[in-house]
Amino acid sequence: MSCVTLQDRAVAINPTRSCAPIGAMLANYGIHGAITINHGSQGCATYPRHQMARHFREPVEVATTSLTEKTTVYGGRNNLLAALKNIWERFHPTMIMVCSTCLSETIGDDIPGVIDEFKEKNPDITIPIMSVKTPSYIGTHTTGFDNFLTELANTMPERRKKKGETNGKINIIPGWVNPGDIRELKHIVREMGLHGLWLTDYSETLDGGYYEPRPHFARGGTTVEDLRSSAKSLATIALQRHIGGEAARVYERRHNVPAHILPMPIGLANTDAFVETLTEITDHAIPEALQVERARLLDALVDTHMFTTGLRVALYGDPDLLEGLTGLVAEMGMTPAYILTADERKPWAERMVELTQELGVESEIIIKGDLHELHKRIKANPVDLIIGHSKGKFISDAEKIPLIRLGFPVEDRFGYHRRSIVGYNGAISLVDEITNVVFERKATAVVSNTLLEIGVEGHTSIPFTFTNGSTNGKH
Amino acid sequence: MQFKCNETLPERGTHIALKAAGGGCQRGDGTSCGIVSNSATTPGDMTERGCTYAGCRGVVGGPVKDAIQLTHGPIGCAFFSWGYRPHLADTDFHMKYTFVSDMKETNIVFGGEKKLLQSIIEANREFPEAKAVFVYNTCATALIGDDGRDVAKQAEEIIGKPVVFFECEGFKGVSQSMGHHVGNETIFRQLVGSIEPEGDFSRTINIVGDYNIKNDIRTFEYLFEALGLKIITRFTGNVGVDELRIMHKAALNVIHCQRSATYIADMMHDKYGTPAINVTLWGIKHMSQALRDTAKFFGLEAEAEEIIERELAKIQPKIDYYRERLKGKTVFIYQGGPRTWHWIELLRELGMETMTAATTFGHDDDYEKIFEQISEGAMMIDNPNVPEIEEILTKRRPDLFISGNKEKYLAYKLGVPFVNGHTYDTGPYAGFIGMVNFARDMDKALHAPIWGTLRNRARPAPAAHHSAHGFAHGFEEAD
Ligand code: SF4
Ligand code: SF4
Repeated sequence: MSCVTLQDRAVAINPTRSCAPIGAMLANYGIHGAITINHGSQGCATYPRHQMARHFREPVEVATTSLTEKTTVYGGRNNLLAALKNIWERFHPTMIMVCSTCLSETIGDDIPGVIDEFKEKNPDITIPIMSVKTPSYIGTHTTGFDNFLTELANTMPERRKKKGETNGKINIIPGWVNPGDIRELKHIVREMGLHGLWLTDYSETLDGGYYEPRPHFARGGTTVEDLRSSAKSLATIALQRHIGGEAARVYERRHNVPAHILPMPIGLANTDAFVETLTEITDHAIPEALQVERARLLDALVDTHMFTTGLRVALYGDPDLLEGLTGLVAEMGMTPAYILTADERKPWAERMVELTQELGVESEIIIKGDLHELHKRIKANPVDLIIGHSKGKFISDAEKIPLIRLGFPVEDRFGYHRRSIVGYNGAISLVDEITNVVFERKATAVVSNTLLEIGVEGHTSIPFTFTNGSTNGKH
Repeated sequence: MQFKCNETLPERGTHIALKAAGGGCQRGDGTSCGIVSNSATTPGDMTERGCTYAGCRGVVGGPVKDAIQLTHGPIGCAFFSWGYRPHLADTDFHMKYTFVSDMKETNIVFGGEKKLLQSIIEANREFPEAKAVFVYNTCATALIGDDGRDVAKQAEEIIGKPVVFFECEGFKGVSQSMGHHVGNETIFRQLVGSIEPEGDFSRTINIVGDYNIKNDIRTFEYLFEALGLKIITRFTGNVGVDELRIMHKAALNVIHCQRSATYIADMMHDKYGTPAINVTLWGIKHMSQALRDTAKFFGLEAEAEEIIERELAKIQPKIDYYRERLKGKTVFIYQGGPRTWHWIELLRELGMETMTAATTFGHDDDYEKIFEQISEGAMMIDNPNVPEIEEILTKRRPDLFISGNKEKYLAYKLGVPFVNGHTYDTGPYAGFIGMVNFARDMDKALHAPIWGTLRNRARPAPAAHHSAHGFAHGFEEAD
């Protein structure tokens, strides 16, 4: 049976998580023409910008109120007022989102109060100005994203004018995913003949094209108008429990929009759950195209199972990603030996114990964990593959274990933000990639499509000595 | 000199100046004096500036290869400053590991000193081979009043090695520049002079203000060694704690970055009488001059000439080749500080002209040096923000933009050739041989076929169709 470990160390060494403002900034990028003001000192804006630019390879623009020692003593009110004016006059954005930082939270600035003051002074400025609390000493980067969505659900939608009024759409909250993932989800919804209202949609704003001339606002993103109408949707589907789950519940409580909170649709069963939910909400049948994709995923799992079954893998990252991924990993016959997150929520860990049990795999689930801890585990008891974001490359390099890159950030490779790991198609690519990595690693002499393995592979305690004197041991 | 994007922000005019005909200075607000620098950023600007912590942890302390780099604060500051600046060394502990006391809400309410102490002890337990623990303060922990100095002192006694506490909370200054200062001051106070080695140091130097970005050091270290000099401390790139501790023994400080590292040379001068010279280790003229000036101090002039001649013979054909391809091109340089003025001459040696020069955190003396070197009609601008950069790229239309990673994709979206001068596309760029790399990268950037493809084949953004099928949404051309 799986077990749960709470990492017990004061110092974090090589954390897997970053801080809350970047989550809110990312979410805000999914709104067409919206601009973020980060209320704090410059570093808290510049660092996440740089991080996002390294992942998305796009210009990432975030304003800061540039608090300094002086302004900190007297509070950041004047800086925030000036920043709002600056941004409005220069950009005429469709919306402004102000997120806080450890600094502005610690000095106790009343951001909503300052926004009200600004609106009173400037009655002609009617765009929404939303305030999101993102002190990073609470939670992780996912908390910022989630707080953004909850705030959005609480403040942006307009009530239905009459009962039963509908926009015919389904609110879909993809959570912390890549532009490529959002496009794959859109594909599914489109194939189902449905209309999604995406909360939010950075599939194009953070994976844009080259246009001459450059548009004033990046193409794409959900419009403020759509956000306003989101209370009239048929349902809300949150595809990550911890990012958007609460927002879905807010839609249900305040606007009677039924909430469906699902695991991240990675792998067959998890994608099925998403597609089936769509059929439940709308009575639409699963179209031919999706049935074919689904069958193709099954085919891929069959084709590859001899190479993946029995592999031990280490997974790390955010809770929802891990939950979804565990599904696919198990479907591929692999064992998620370690599942490590920086998150500290016990209910999640307990659910993961149940999930791994249902899936018939045994894992150590580590919460409040960091990559140094994972490294120590892997050193003591190795795995065949590591799956997670770029920061795991140090373990991968040191232990010579391949790293399958996914999640955020992937900053040492190009184009991963364009890939998709969700839906049937996303799963197919991941199955192929994982299998190919196994091939590259083990097939020193590939004849055609089988592996020629040297010695006895797999985790055996029986020592085996080669004629040249080396032992197979554990790799 | 006014920007369209600054119509509603007249104060930005004081940060912009044009070198008028006859060499006079025309400031954006109509006056004729130098521009305002090292002052607080206009709130709401999309500035490229970072914080004091970034300047200290990222720039000065971060390259020290055998110290535990521990951030005292919440997680983000540590995560984002981890492993992206290529300040390389012959080992990579400092690149691979980041440590953070990981302040949580309860720590913010009740104080984080205990957790900091425990963090230092645990970090040291995990990596006992580390030579010191560098602790960097952040905004939140400074505000709640944690006494990091005291904790560091306690920790030092417990673990028996230096624990260096940097008071570099992000909001302390107007840019990362303050962080450089804190870094210099703290390393000087806590480490320099704490070991007294025996021996003859009469032919030793420190290289001060080089961070070994992509192994820059390899492009000039051998030149100083060829002079018969030994570099004892590189402040800070490929440097260990013990080398910092004996830094005061050097006969001469050779200062390369004169913004971020002059402080320590000044302090060494005051306390130990160490003489210093200012040099530029980029470009033919400056690199040669650096060798000459250093040699002169040690009476090695003849050797220097020999080395210079030998090295130039090696690179000259290549430089000539690139000069032919690069000459006449106009450049917008936007670097942190001194690199902007370091490179104006290097570009001229390649036949290129700097038409706009900007820095993120330069001070008055940086802008004086820039102004001296740029030609009439060229512009300089302090701490430019995103709309200003965009306006320079589209209206002044430089042939090449040399800046950092954050600005790169903006340049690309506007179809402007770009070279990454912060962390280098390939590198290294310093010294004589590095200049060939630099020229090669500029050549690649300028002459890549993609620009022709864009010119001939790029199209306007399609009219956005509506979301009927869940596609991207409508938007209006606001320009
Ligand atoms: S202070 Fe807080 S918000 Fe700012 S970078 Fe650090 S952790 Fe993130
Ligand atoms: S909290 Fe302060 S120290 Fe940390 S990144 Fe932000 S500005 Fe810098």
